[in-house]
Amino acid sequence: MGSYLLKRVALMAVTIWGALTIMFVLLVAMPGDAVEAKQGEKAVAAGIQQNIRRKYGLDDPVPVQYVKYWKNLASGELGYSVQNDKSVNEMLGETAKTSLRLAFWGGLVQLLGSLGLGFLSAARRNSVIDKVSTVLSVTAQAIPVFVTGLLLQVVFGVIPSNAGGFLNKHLNFVGFWPSEWRFGVIPKENWKVVILPAVAVGIVQMAYLARLLRSSMLEVMRADYLRTARAKGLSMRRVLVKHALRNALIPWVTAASLAVVETFGIAVQTETTFGLFGVGSQVAESALIQDTNPILGLTSIVVLATAVTLLFVDLLYSVLDPRIRVGSKLAD
Amino acid sequence: MAVVMNPFPDADELIEREQLSYWQDVRKRFFRNKIAVIGLVMLAMMVLVAIFGPWLTPGDYKSARNIPDLPRRMFNEAGIFGTDQLGRNLWHRCVRGIGISLRLAVSVALISTVVGMVFGGLAGYLGGWVDSVISRFIEMLYAIPYVLIGIAAIAIFGSSFWTVMFTLIFTGWVNTARLFRASVLQIRSNDYIESARATGATTKRILLSHVLPNALPPIIVSIAFSISGAILAESIYSFLGIGFIEPTPALGVMIRDARTQFQPYPHLLWVPASILIWLTLSIVFIGDGLRDALDPKMRGVD
Repeated sequence: MGSYLLKRVALMAVTIWGALTIMFVLLVAMPGDAVEAKQGEKAVAAGIQQNIRRKYGLDDPVPVQYVKYWKNLASGELGYSVQNDKSVNEMLGETAKTSLRLAFWGGLVQLLGSLGLGFLSAARRNSVIDKVSTVLSVTAQAIPVFVTGLLLQVVFGVIPSNAGGFLNKHLNFVGFWPSEWRFGVIPKENWKVVILPAVAVGIVQMAYLARLLRSSMLEVMRADYLRTARAKGLSMRRVLVKHALRNALIPWVTAASLAVVETFGIAVQTETTFGLFGVGSQVAESALIQDTNPILGLTSIVVLATAVTLLFVDLLYSVLDPRIRVGSKLAD
Repeated sequence: MAVVMNPFPDADELIEREQLSYWQDVRKRFFRNKIAVIGLVMLAMMVLVAIFGPWLTPGDYKSARNIPDLPRRMFNEAGIFGTDQLGRNLWHRCVRGIGISLRLAVSVALISTVVGMVFGGLAGYLGGWVDSVISRFIEMLYAIPYVLIGIAAIAIFGSSFWTVMFTLIFTGWVNTARLFRASVLQIRSNDYIESARATGATTKRILLSHVLPNALPPIIVSIAFSISGAILAESIYSFLGIGFIEPTPALGVMIRDARTQFQPYPHLLWVPASILIWLTLSIVFIGDGLRDALDPKMRGVD
């Protein structure tokens, strides 16, 4: 176990180093910089430009900048943004909260929804719910998340508000994003507004996870020990929950933890649709004026978080399924 | 006339079956799949529009027109889709948008498949340090969210057809490479490869006449899904403002512009969104059909 963990962590470190280096090279390779892009119609004197570059360390040779980047990263600093003269930590700290809240609620919808949908469509094959989840899994591949978001806003915003009365009172979920939150994630007021963005984010991977749970449950349900369980007189419900669901959960947990990593990315794509200013919008803005540090900073956070999650998933395997011995099957 | 000895004379009628090659069987099963054929027809319609549309809709589709009397809705004098917020003919813009999406997605899917097959094949067949290097590189690229790579690319090269294409290839080949590597590894361990090598076949011959045909089916399916994936990714980039930008009539750009306008002018959202869904859905249908048709386990099953 110890040597396996060591090898796994070493590989993870190589992946993180490589991913961030690729991104660094991409961003440093570009012609021009934020100082040039930031100036208005009248060009700023070369001397002043040089001073600004010196201030942000943009005139350092690339290797020096590279070393500085890693030194800063090691101490949790992500550098400065030329665009608004703030540290990237501060800048992303404000917007990341919005994106993370959206990802949290979207992830919740995705996990609970896929558990319910998957379980029901396996327990009642070919029922309405089974067919709905089949249709959902195909359409989720074909409809981009921002279109889902806009459609939801039309159905649960524009139409009820045009209709007015009862519909507007109970079916209108569009409004101002809550400004105050309990425990960081529970909205204090206007909680209805969170529902549509969360559904838009969650629905993308919900159907896929539900199909996965369904097929692995159906596979388990064909196993001999399930027939034994039925034969010794256990009720169908008990067999389904205690045996079928529990054993079918192993592949689901793997896929779900990978999906949770992607939820953040989906939240970033969704936020603009609902007029939220999250990290995605912020960094897209930075890109347009070639302000590299925010882009590199966000990439660093996401890459580190992803790598840690993947490591966690690998270790989770061995806890969930004692048959998988760490280091044998997973090592390759 | 050669007489074939039948070891089971009683079961004569049971073994009578049409003799089909694998690919004939695939074609037959694909065209029996209703949804796949619907997808094919849907896609063919879009391709026809993309090819002949610009020829039927000549004229300016980029600059704003000041036509104050023309209502911004569908079925006005301008055409079936009406005019957009700047008075431009929406039908003309959609025709171009379909062309952009298809051209971009097909070239991205083909190029990234070739690149992915080369690297995945090398990694899977050669193994050893080549495999380690390529696999690590794939993992590194996989760790960066593709939206962020897109953001970086747009910061470097600015917005153009080529930037979007390059970005999508850069992020897209990784999936094919993983897939192809896995199937090459699996095929390589088969006994018939061993016996081919024992009879003195060269590496080139083994790769071309044994490994490639057997690894091809999953690749064909993945081409279909990379086309729909590229269409979606392009629209997401454009929607976030980091792909195509105004006045390019890409579908994502049109939906982005409709975002703030759909309450007064709902058709600005419905028209490009429906076209986008039509396109991706048709390709997903075809991909699903191909996956079922190419699955050797399903042979002879109707």
